[in-house]
Amino acid sequence: MTPPAHEPPTVLTIFLAMLRLGCTSFGGGSAGWLYRDIVLRRGWVDNATFLQILAVGQALPGANGIKATVQIGHHLRGGLGATAALVGLLSGPFVIILIVGAAYRGIGEHPLVQAVLDGMAAAAIGLTFDTGLRSAWHGKPGIPALAVTAATVVCIGFLNWPMAPVVLVLAPLSIALAFRERRDA
Amino acid sequence: MRDGLAALAIVFVPISLLSFGGSNAIIADIEHQTVAVHHWMTGREFADFFALSRAAPGPGSMLTALIGWRVAGFAGALVATIGYYVPAAVLVYFLARLWGRWRGRPWHDAIERGLAPVAAGLLLAAGIAILRASPGGWPIWAAAFAATALLLRWPKLPPTALIAAGGALFGIVAAVTQ
Repeated sequence: MTPPAHEPPTVLTIFLAMLRLGCTSFGGGSAGWLYRDIVLRRGWVDNATFLQILAVGQALPGANGIKATVQIGHHLRGGLGATAALVGLLSGPFVIILIVGAAYRGIGEHPLVQAVLDGMAAAAIGLTFDTGLRSAWHGKPGIPALAVTAATVVCIGFLNWPMAPVVLVLAPLSIALAFRERRDA
Repeated sequence: MRDGLAALAIVFVPISLLSFGGSNAIIADIEHQTVAVHHWMTGREFADFFALSRAAPGPGSMLTALIGWRVAGFAGALVATIGYYVPAAVLVYFLARLWGRWRGRPWHDAIERGLAPVAAGLLLAAGIAILRASPGGWPIWAAAFAATALLLRWPKLPPTALIAAGGALFGIVAAVTQ
Protein backbone atom coordinates (compact mmCIF):
# COMPACT_ATOMS: atom_id res chain seq x y z
CA MET A 1 0.00 0.00 0.00
CA THR A 2 1.24 3.47 -0.81
CA PRO A 3 1.21 5.91 2.13
CA PRO A 4 -1.13 8.91 1.84
CA ALA A 5 0.44 11.64 -0.29
CA HIS A 6 -0.13 14.48 2.18
CA GLU A 7 -0.69 14.77 5.92
CA PRO A 8 -3.46 12.25 6.76
CA PRO A 9 -6.69 13.55 8.33
CA THR A 10 -6.89 13.69 12.14
CA VAL A 11 -8.66 10.99 14.12
CA LEU A 12 -11.54 13.41 14.80
CA THR A 13 -11.87 14.22 11.08
CA ILE A 14 -11.97 10.51 10.27
CA PHE A 15 -14.67 9.98 12.92
CA LEU A 16 -16.80 12.86 11.60
CA ALA A 17 -16.43 11.79 7.97
CA MET A 18 -17.54 8.24 8.81
CA LEU A 19 -20.37 9.52 11.02
CA ARG A 20 -21.70 11.53 8.10
CA LEU A 21 -21.23 8.62 5.70
CA GLY A 22 -23.02 6.20 8.04
CA CYS A 23 -26.07 8.45 8.30
CA THR A 24 -26.33 9.10 4.56
CA SER A 25 -25.53 5.72 3.01
CA PHE A 26 -28.86 4.13 2.18
CA GLY A 27 -29.62 0.79 0.57
CA GLY A 28 -26.56 -1.18 1.66
CA GLY A 29 -23.57 -1.45 -0.65
CA SER A 30 -21.42 0.60 1.74
CA ALA A 31 -18.30 -0.18 -0.29
CA GLY A 32 -19.67 1.99 -3.11
CA TRP A 33 -20.50 4.83 -0.71
CA LEU A 34 -17.04 4.62 0.83
CA TYR A 35 -15.44 4.75 -2.61
CA ARG A 36 -17.37 7.85 -3.66
CA ASP A 37 -16.70 9.70 -0.41
CA ILE A 38 -13.22 8.62 0.73
CA VAL A 39 -11.54 8.06 -2.65
CA LEU A 40 -13.30 10.37 -5.11
CA ARG A 41 -14.45 13.26 -2.92
CA ARG A 42 -11.85 13.49 -0.15
CA GLY A 43 -8.92 11.74 -1.82
CA TRP A 44 -7.77 10.20 1.47
CA VAL A 45 -7.04 6.86 -0.15
CA ASP A 46 -5.99 6.33 -3.77
CA ASN A 47 -7.81 4.08 -6.19
CA ALA A 48 -5.32 1.21 -6.13
CA THR A 49 -5.18 1.11 -2.33
CA PHE A 50 -8.96 1.07 -2.11
CA LEU A 51 -9.26 -1.85 -4.54
CA GLN A 52 -6.57 -3.68 -2.63
CA ILE A 53 -8.47 -3.07 0.63
CA LEU A 54 -11.66 -4.52 -0.87
CA ALA A 55 -9.82 -7.54 -2.31
CA VAL A 56 -8.10 -8.34 0.96
CA GLY A 57 -11.41 -8.30 2.80
CA GLN A 58 -12.99 -10.88 0.50
CA ALA A 59 -11.69 -13.94 2.31
CA LEU A 60 -12.55 -12.58 5.76
CA PRO A 61 -15.95 -12.59 7.46
CA GLY A 62 -17.94 -9.40 7.99
CA ALA A 63 -19.80 -6.75 6.01
CA ASN A 64 -17.72 -5.33 3.15
CA GLY A 65 -18.31 -1.76 4.28
CA ILE A 66 -17.12 -2.54 7.80
CA LYS A 67 -14.00 -4.37 6.63
CA ALA A 68 -13.11 -1.53 4.26
CA THR A 69 -13.81 1.10 6.95
CA VAL A 70 -11.50 -0.57 9.47
CA GLN A 71 -8.73 -0.86 6.90
CA ILE A 72 -9.12 2.73 5.69
CA GLY A 73 -8.99 4.04 9.27
CA HIS A 74 -5.95 1.92 9.95
CA HIS A 75 -4.26 3.06 6.75
CA LEU A 76 -4.77 6.72 7.70
CA ARG A 77 -4.15 6.78 11.46
CA GLY A 78 -3.29 3.30 12.75
CA GLY A 79 -5.29 1.59 15.48
CA LEU A 80 -6.89 4.80 16.72
CA GLY A 81 -7.91 5.69 13.17
CA ALA A 82 -9.49 2.27 12.65
CA THR A 83 -11.43 2.58 15.93
CA ALA A 84 -12.61 6.12 15.13
CA ALA A 85 -13.69 5.06 11.64
CA LEU A 86 -15.64 2.03 12.89
CA VAL A 87 -17.35 3.85 15.78
CA GLY A 88 -18.08 6.81 13.51
CA LEU A 89 -19.67 4.64 10.83
CA LEU A 90 -21.83 2.65 13.25
CA SER A 91 -23.02 5.23 15.79
CA GLY A 92 -25.31 7.25 13.49
CA PRO A 93 -27.19 4.25 12.04
CA PHE A 94 -27.37 2.76 15.56
CA VAL A 95 -29.24 5.77 16.93
CA ILE A 96 -31.45 6.02 13.84
CA ILE A 97 -32.49 2.37 13.95
CA LEU A 98 -33.47 2.68 17.63
CA ILE A 99 -35.70 5.64 16.77
CA VAL A 100 -37.20 3.58 13.93
CA GLY A 101 -37.68 0.70 16.37
CA ALA A 102 -39.45 2.94 18.86
CA ALA A 103 -41.79 4.19 16.13
CA TYR A 104 -42.46 0.57 15.12
CA ARG A 105 -43.40 -0.30 18.69
CA GLY A 106 -46.02 2.45 18.57
CA ILE A 107 -47.64 1.75 15.20
CA GLY A 108 -46.33 -1.67 14.07
CA GLU A 109 -49.58 -3.48 14.87
CA HIS A 110 -51.67 -1.33 12.54
CA PRO A 111 -52.81 -3.41 9.51
CA LEU A 112 -51.82 -0.72 7.02
CA VAL A 113 -48.34 -0.45 8.55
CA GLN A 114 -48.01 -4.23 8.40
CA ALA A 115 -48.94 -4.21 4.71
CA VAL A 116 -46.35 -1.50 3.98
CA LEU A 117 -43.70 -3.45 5.90
CA ASP A 118 -44.58 -6.62 3.94
CA GLY A 119 -44.03 -4.77 0.67
CA MET A 120 -40.74 -3.32 1.92
CA ALA A 121 -39.60 -6.76 3.09
CA ALA A 122 -40.49 -8.30 -0.29
CA ALA A 123 -38.38 -5.70 -2.13
CA ALA A 124 -35.50 -6.14 0.32
CA ILE A 125 -35.67 -9.93 -0.14
CA GLY A 126 -35.49 -9.31 -3.90
CA LEU A 127 -32.27 -7.34 -3.32
CA THR A 128 -30.83 -10.24 -1.33
CA PHE A 129 -31.82 -12.82 -3.98
CA ASP A 130 -30.33 -10.62 -6.70
CA THR A 131 -26.99 -10.38 -4.90
CA GLY A 132 -27.05 -14.12 -4.17
CA LEU A 133 -27.79 -15.09 -7.78
CA ARG A 134 -25.15 -12.70 -9.12
CA SER A 135 -22.49 -14.03 -6.77
CA ALA A 136 -23.52 -17.64 -7.52
CA TRP A 137 -22.91 -17.00 -11.26
CA HIS A 138 -19.86 -14.78 -10.79
CA GLY A 139 -16.72 -16.10 -12.53
CA LYS A 140 -18.51 -18.84 -14.51
CA PRO A 141 -18.60 -21.47 -11.75
CA GLY A 142 -18.29 -25.19 -12.53
CA ILE A 143 -20.61 -27.96 -11.34
CA PRO A 144 -18.75 -28.40 -7.99
CA ALA A 145 -19.14 -24.73 -7.06
CA LEU A 146 -22.83 -24.72 -8.02
CA ALA A 147 -23.33 -27.90 -5.98
CA VAL A 148 -21.79 -26.19 -2.94
CA THR A 149 -24.12 -23.20 -3.39
CA ALA A 150 -27.13 -25.54 -3.72
CA ALA A 151 -26.11 -27.57 -0.66
CA THR A 152 -25.77 -24.36 1.39
CA VAL A 153 -29.24 -23.21 0.30
CA VAL A 154 -30.85 -26.56 1.13
CA CYS A 155 -29.14 -27.06 4.53
CA ILE A 156 -29.72 -23.53 5.83
CA GLY A 157 -32.67 -22.19 3.84
CA PHE A 158 -34.89 -25.29 3.85
CA LEU A 159 -33.64 -27.72 6.51
CA ASN A 160 -33.04 -24.88 9.01
CA TRP A 161 -29.72 -26.32 10.09
CA PRO A 162 -27.58 -23.95 12.15
CA MET A 163 -25.06 -22.02 10.08
CA ALA A 164 -21.86 -22.76 12.03
CA PRO A 165 -21.56 -26.53 11.37
CA VAL A 166 -22.79 -26.19 7.78
CA VAL A 167 -20.23 -23.48 6.95
CA LEU A 168 -17.46 -25.27 8.85
CA VAL A 169 -18.04 -28.39 6.73
CA LEU A 170 -18.91 -26.86 3.34
CA ALA A 171 -16.29 -24.06 3.32
CA PRO A 172 -13.24 -26.35 3.68
CA LEU A 173 -14.80 -28.77 1.17
CA SER A 174 -15.37 -25.95 -1.31
CA ILE A 175 -11.83 -24.61 -0.78
CA ALA A 176 -10.42 -28.11 -1.40
CA LEU A 177 -12.47 -28.35 -4.62
CA ALA A 178 -11.20 -24.94 -5.76
CA PHE A 179 -7.62 -25.99 -4.97
CA ARG A 180 -7.94 -29.22 -6.95
CA GLU A 181 -9.57 -27.42 -9.87
CA ARG A 182 -6.65 -24.99 -9.98
CA ARG A 183 -4.08 -27.78 -9.84
CA ASP A 184 -5.82 -29.65 -12.67
CA ALA A 185 -6.10 -26.55 -14.80
CA MET B 1 -31.77 -9.06 31.77
CA ARG B 2 -28.21 -10.27 32.34
CA ASP B 3 -29.17 -13.67 30.87
CA GLY B 4 -30.58 -11.88 27.84
CA LEU B 5 -27.36 -9.92 27.31
CA ALA B 6 -25.21 -13.04 27.63
CA ALA B 7 -27.47 -14.93 25.21
CA LEU B 8 -27.23 -12.06 22.70
CA ALA B 9 -23.43 -12.15 22.87
CA ILE B 10 -23.40 -15.94 22.52
CA VAL B 11 -25.62 -15.70 19.42
CA PHE B 12 -23.93 -12.79 17.66
CA VAL B 13 -20.18 -13.30 18.24
CA PRO B 14 -19.96 -16.65 16.36
CA ILE B 15 -22.24 -15.28 13.64
CA SER B 16 -19.86 -12.32 13.25
CA LEU B 17 -16.89 -14.60 12.69
CA LEU B 18 -18.77 -16.75 10.16
CA SER B 19 -20.32 -13.92 8.14
CA PHE B 20 -18.63 -14.74 4.83
CA GLY B 21 -20.65 -12.87 2.25
CA GLY B 22 -21.51 -9.95 4.54
CA SER B 23 -24.42 -8.88 6.72
CA ASN B 24 -27.12 -10.39 4.55
CA ALA B 25 -25.52 -13.82 4.36
CA ILE B 26 -26.12 -14.53 8.04
CA ILE B 27 -29.79 -13.56 8.18
CA ALA B 28 -31.06 -17.15 7.87
CA ASP B 29 -29.13 -18.12 10.97
CA ILE B 30 -30.15 -14.97 12.86
CA GLU B 31 -33.79 -15.74 12.01
CA HIS B 32 -33.39 -19.33 13.17
CA GLN B 33 -31.72 -18.32 16.45
CA THR B 34 -34.03 -15.44 17.36
CA VAL B 35 -37.38 -16.98 16.35
CA ALA B 36 -37.10 -20.78 16.65
CA VAL B 37 -34.32 -21.29 19.22
CA HIS B 38 -34.65 -18.38 21.66
CA HIS B 39 -38.29 -17.30 20.97
CA TRP B 40 -37.24 -13.65 21.24
CA MET B 41 -39.82 -12.61 18.65
CA THR B 42 -42.38 -13.85 16.13
CA GLY B 43 -41.63 -14.47 12.46
CA ARG B 44 -43.78 -11.45 11.72
CA GLU B 45 -41.64 -9.16 13.88
CA PHE B 46 -38.47 -10.60 12.38
CA ALA B 47 -39.63 -9.90 8.82
CA ASP B 48 -40.65 -6.37 9.89
CA PHE B 49 -37.27 -5.75 11.53
CA PHE B 50 -35.55 -6.97 8.40
CA ALA B 51 -37.57 -4.56 6.24
CA LEU B 52 -36.91 -1.62 8.59
CA SER B 53 -33.19 -2.31 8.81
CA ARG B 54 -32.87 -2.47 5.03
CA ALA B 55 -34.71 0.83 4.63
CA ALA B 56 -32.63 2.65 7.27
CA PRO B 57 -29.17 4.06 6.50
CA GLY B 58 -25.96 2.37 7.46
CA PRO B 59 -23.47 -0.34 6.64
CA GLY B 60 -24.95 -3.75 5.99
CA SER B 61 -27.80 -3.81 8.40
CA MET B 62 -28.62 -2.67 11.88
CA LEU B 63 -30.95 -5.65 12.19
CA THR B 64 -28.78 -6.86 15.06
CA ALA B 65 -29.36 -3.63 17.02
CA LEU B 66 -33.14 -3.97 16.61
CA ILE B 67 -33.05 -7.57 17.83
CA GLY B 68 -30.89 -6.66 20.82
CA TRP B 69 -33.19 -3.76 21.66
CA ARG B 70 -36.24 -6.06 21.48
CA VAL B 71 -34.58 -8.57 23.85
CA ALA B 72 -33.00 -6.30 26.45
CA GLY B 73 -33.59 -2.64 25.64
CA PHE B 74 -30.76 -0.18 25.02
CA ALA B 75 -28.12 -2.40 26.67
CA GLY B 76 -29.28 -5.29 24.48
CA ALA B 77 -28.97 -3.16 21.34
CA LEU B 78 -25.43 -2.19 22.36
CA VAL B 79 -24.37 -5.77 23.18
CA ALA B 80 -25.83 -7.19 19.94
CA THR B 81 -24.23 -4.47 17.81
CA ILE B 82 -20.80 -4.78 19.44
CA GLY B 83 -21.06 -8.59 19.47
CA TYR B 84 -21.86 -8.63 15.78
CA TYR B 85 -19.58 -5.89 14.37
CA VAL B 86 -16.49 -5.86 16.59
CA PRO B 87 -15.15 -9.46 16.31
CA ALA B 88 -15.11 -9.34 12.48
CA ALA B 89 -13.58 -5.84 12.63
CA VAL B 90 -10.80 -7.00 14.98
CA LEU B 91 -10.15 -9.99 12.74
CA VAL B 92 -9.83 -7.86 9.62
CA TYR B 93 -7.63 -5.38 11.51
CA PHE B 94 -5.07 -8.06 12.36
CA LEU B 95 -5.38 -10.33 9.32
CA ALA B 96 -5.75 -7.85 6.45
CA ARG B 97 -2.07 -7.02 5.98
CA LEU B 98 -1.04 -10.62 6.52
CA TRP B 99 -3.60 -11.78 3.99
CA GLY B 100 -2.43 -9.19 1.45
CA ARG B 101 1.14 -10.42 1.81
CA TRP B 102 0.10 -13.97 0.89
CA ARG B 103 -1.48 -12.88 -2.39
CA GLY B 104 -0.40 -15.11 -5.27
CA ARG B 105 0.06 -18.29 -3.24
CA PRO B 106 -2.08 -21.16 -4.62
CA TRP B 107 -4.03 -21.75 -1.40
CA HIS B 108 -4.73 -18.02 -1.04
CA ASP B 109 -6.56 -18.06 -4.35
CA ALA B 110 -8.30 -21.36 -3.51
CA ILE B 111 -9.63 -19.95 -0.22
CA GLU B 112 -11.05 -16.86 -1.94
CA ARG B 113 -12.65 -18.88 -4.74
CA GLY B 114 -13.81 -21.64 -2.40
CA LEU B 115 -15.63 -19.28 -0.04
CA ALA B 116 -17.56 -17.56 -2.84
CA PRO B 117 -20.11 -20.39 -3.53
CA VAL B 118 -20.80 -20.75 0.21
CA ALA B 119 -21.38 -16.99 0.50
CA ALA B 120 -23.74 -17.08 -2.49
CA GLY B 121 -25.67 -19.97 -0.93
CA LEU B 122 -25.95 -18.11 2.37
CA LEU B 123 -27.43 -15.06 0.61
CA LEU B 124 -30.06 -17.15 -1.18
CA ALA B 125 -30.85 -19.00 2.05
CA ALA B 126 -31.31 -15.61 3.77
CA GLY B 127 -34.07 -14.60 1.35
CA ILE B 128 -35.77 -17.98 1.73
CA ALA B 129 -35.59 -17.83 5.54
CA ILE B 130 -37.28 -14.41 5.68
CA LEU B 131 -39.99 -15.50 3.25
CA ARG B 132 -40.66 -18.58 5.37
CA ALA B 133 -40.71 -16.54 8.59
CA SER B 134 -43.08 -13.92 7.22
CA PRO B 135 -46.81 -14.60 7.58
CA GLY B 136 -47.41 -12.40 4.51
CA GLY B 137 -48.44 -15.40 2.38
CA TRP B 138 -48.21 -15.70 -1.41
CA PRO B 139 -48.28 -11.95 -2.19
CA ILE B 140 -44.95 -11.41 -0.45
CA TRP B 141 -43.40 -14.41 -2.24
CA ALA B 142 -44.69 -13.14 -5.60
CA ALA B 143 -43.47 -9.60 -4.91
CA ALA B 144 -40.05 -10.84 -3.79
CA PHE B 145 -39.59 -12.86 -6.98
CA ALA B 146 -40.86 -9.94 -9.08
CA ALA B 147 -38.35 -7.63 -7.37
CA THR B 148 -35.58 -10.16 -8.06
CA ALA B 149 -36.56 -10.31 -11.74
CA LEU B 150 -36.60 -6.49 -11.98
CA LEU B 151 -33.12 -6.28 -10.43
CA LEU B 152 -31.70 -8.98 -12.68
CA ARG B 153 -33.05 -7.11 -15.70
CA TRP B 154 -32.16 -3.59 -14.46
CA PRO B 155 -29.20 -3.89 -12.06
CA LYS B 156 -28.97 -0.12 -11.52
CA LEU B 157 -32.37 0.22 -9.84
CA PRO B 158 -31.69 2.14 -6.62
CA PRO B 159 -32.32 -0.19 -3.63
CA THR B 160 -34.01 2.44 -1.48
CA ALA B 161 -36.42 3.38 -4.27
CA LEU B 162 -37.29 -0.29 -4.81
CA ILE B 163 -37.99 -0.77 -1.07
CA ALA B 164 -40.14 2.38 -1.01
CA ALA B 165 -42.03 1.20 -4.12
CA GLY B 166 -42.68 -2.21 -2.52
CA GLY B 167 -44.03 -0.57 0.63
CA ALA B 168 -46.21 1.87 -1.34
CA LEU B 169 -47.64 -0.90 -3.55
CA PHE B 170 -48.62 -3.12 -0.62
CA GLY B 171 -49.92 -0.12 1.35
CA ILE B 172 -52.17 1.02 -1.51
CA VAL B 173 -53.50 -2.49 -2.14
CA ALA B 174 -54.28 -2.89 1.59
CA ALA B 175 -55.98 0.51 1.77
CA VAL B 176 -58.13 -0.21 -1.29
CA THR B 177 -59.17 -3.73 -0.30
CA GLN B 178 -59.89 -3.00 3.36
